Amino acid sequence: MTQHVVNVLLSGVFHASILFLVAAGLQVVFGVQKIFNLACGSFYALGAYAGVSAVGWYAGAGGPPALFILPLALAGLAVGAVGIVVERGLLSFVYDRDETFQLLLTFAVVLMMEDAIRMIWGTSPRSTSGLYLTYGQVRILGAVVPVYNLIVIAASLAIALSIGWLLTRTTFGRIMRATADNREMAEALGVDMRRVYAKVFTLGTALGTLGGALVIPATAAMSEMGIELIVEAFAVVVIGGLGSMRGAFVGALAVGVLRSIAISVYPELEMLLIYLIVIGVLVARPRGLFGGAAA
Amino acid sequence: MRSSRRQFLQLLGVGTGAAAATGIDVPSGFAQAAGPVKIGVLAIRAGIAAPVGAAGLRGTEWWAERVNKAGGILGRPVQLVVEEESNPKDTVERYRKLVLQDKVEVVLGGISTGVTLALGPVAEDLGTPWLSWDGTTQKGVEETMPSPKWAFKSVDNEVEAIVAGILTPKHFKGVKRVAGIGNDYSYGHDCWESYQAVLKRYIPDVKFVLELFPKLGVTDFTSHIAAIQQSKADLLMCSFWSGDATIIMKQAAAVSLFKTMKGVFTTAGGVHDSLKKEFTPEGLLLGYNTMYFDDPKGSPLLKQFVREYKAKYNEYPPYECDHAFFNAESYKAAVEKAAGPAKKWPEKAQVVKALEGIEVESLSGRRSWREDHVQMCNFYQGITTHKNGYDFVTISPIEVVSTRQAMKPPGTKLFEWINSWKI
Repeated sequence: MTQHVVNVLLSGVFHASILFLVAAGLQVVFGVQKIFNLACGSFYALGAYAGVSAVGWYAGAGGPPALFILPLALAGLAVGAVGIVVERGLLSFVYDRDETFQLLLTFAVVLMMEDAIRMIWGTSPRSTSGLYLTYGQVRILGAVVPVYNLIVIAASLAIALSIGWLLTRTTFGRIMRATADNREMAEALGVDMRRVYAKVFTLGTALGTLGGALVIPATAAMSEMGIELIVEAFAVVVIGGLGSMRGAFVGALAVGVLRSIAISVYPELEMLLIYLIVIGVLVARPRGLFGGAAA
Repeated sequence: MRSSRRQFLQLLGVGTGAAAATGIDVPSGFAQAAGPVKIGVLAIRAGIAAPVGAAGLRGTEWWAERVNKAGGILGRPVQLVVEEESNPKDTVERYRKLVLQDKVEVVLGGISTGVTLALGPVAEDLGTPWLSWDGTTQKGVEETMPSPKWAFKSVDNEVEAIVAGILTPKHFKGVKRVAGIGNDYSYGHDCWESYQAVLKRYIPDVKFVLELFPKLGVTDFTSHIAAIQQSKADLLMCSFWSGDATIIMKQAAAVSLFKTMKGVFTTAGGVHDSLKKEFTPEGLLLGYNTMYFDDPKGSPLLKQFVREYKAKYNEYPPYECDHAFFNAESYKAAVEKAAGPAKKWPEKAQVVKALEGIEVESLSGRRSWREDHVQMCNFYQGITTHKNGYDFVTISPIEVVSTRQAMKPPGTKLFEWINSWKI
């Protein structure tokens, strides 16, 4: 029984770790720029594909398998640079437009990225063969747990703490929070909004691409993998509160673990349970658990 | 795969074909008799089934090249007009365009049963033969078009699950508790129901302890695997056929699931070369649908195809190539049969008559059309092995089960038929 509880909880937390990274990307962009970035799921897929390529190249160049996580994470972070292109090349033109335009634009990015991925990497699912098993397994209270899952959980936790530190302890974090609170005032005080927006959007993108890269050894890259995750990320932000980083953390954990429990106890409830909670939160606390707090 | 989404006229013939390619006007009667034979092809190009669509298209293109090199059909070169299969509504529109505007002689293709259910009545209405690669006109496991005139349909969806149900007790002794996982749509549910029905016939006291139906496109099954471990099943049946088959295999390996559990993967042979030895154990039952690329008893045609496919795409071909090849080859044979000794190009209705019951050499061996327009063929399944020269698993021994044994006969109800078996 303990073994089963550990299995269920850890698989839920593993799912939550990835979900958190994507949702955090969504939150940071919304918090500061007030743009609901549907493309965060596509960035996740892009990171996954870049991860497959990087690891393939690394293995081909004879790199030691135990260190594959380094090129993987670097590739994930590097393709985050696509954020600057999307922000400067597309979004910067619609900041003053109605939110619907912004939403449509990010949806267009979703479709374009899916096609771009298909053109670059083809239609077949791509996978990193057996790298997932490189780090072996550990036994925790009788349950067999892949070490790689624990690495992803730890990485996600470290990123969450770094974001917390960035937001509360650094000048850039203070600027971000100030902008989230009152853009005009921040601008009047001399904040260069173009740079802040470019940096924030790139940060949001890199969180998504890193999430995709980190998950890829455990799964396979498929061009539409982002769509599946974005739906869950919506649930996370509604439960946690739109724009809140703590909300993303708690929301992801709630969705990941509840999904896992539902699959184990009553699989038909998998999605239903999550959306029942979403509805509950919307009715009882429309701004989410941490809504209204600064980014 | 480098073509536009809307329309792609691929002119594979030379000589007579060039007139059509350059748009030179030719009298229609002449074009009808001597111009290229236009063949419409519907292929999925996007989404989870895009690799399946690509395989079907590649099989068709290989067939067309081969036919054109040998002089075409009754001397007419073959010209493929490729359209995309997407959702039912748009695909029906493209189907109409192929028939009414491009004036194709026949339409080949159709993979998703959601789409082909809609295409069936349209094909009947437009009076042009339609040969489906992989789609049926079944609602669930029951036929909706028992006696079509123009529509020719694929093997019943659930056959591979039935084959796996027949082979399970043969290869795995002492199975008492079975868990199932499949995609949450008709195919996944139908396969699971059929597999259970068959297994119950062979092992009457078998218990089905868990059923999981994640949505198509899910990429994290760690929670599902936790539930499967908890179910204490001694066998897992899985009908995944796309990237998810690879993913669950990998995630199962990470917790050594198949050290304590047998595994039946009815359809994962569709992504066979992604099932790397590193994470796919020996001893699973794996289904390759209707074509096994590495069949040592395979025909010279299969061996040539596998060799050329590998050289061109750096992959080993999956079964959809064979469905597609069979469709095209059977059309050619039917035209030639209907033309008779005079070699006069036949009317479409004559071609349809000739197709009924016709048997041709396909990549996987002899295949035929049943009188009620359903494909008849063999299914290949077997036990996974690492003893090969690839980095992925293959099967040995290979089990070959015919649709004559594993597909419900015309006019019968699936479960009544299974329950009537004498075992």
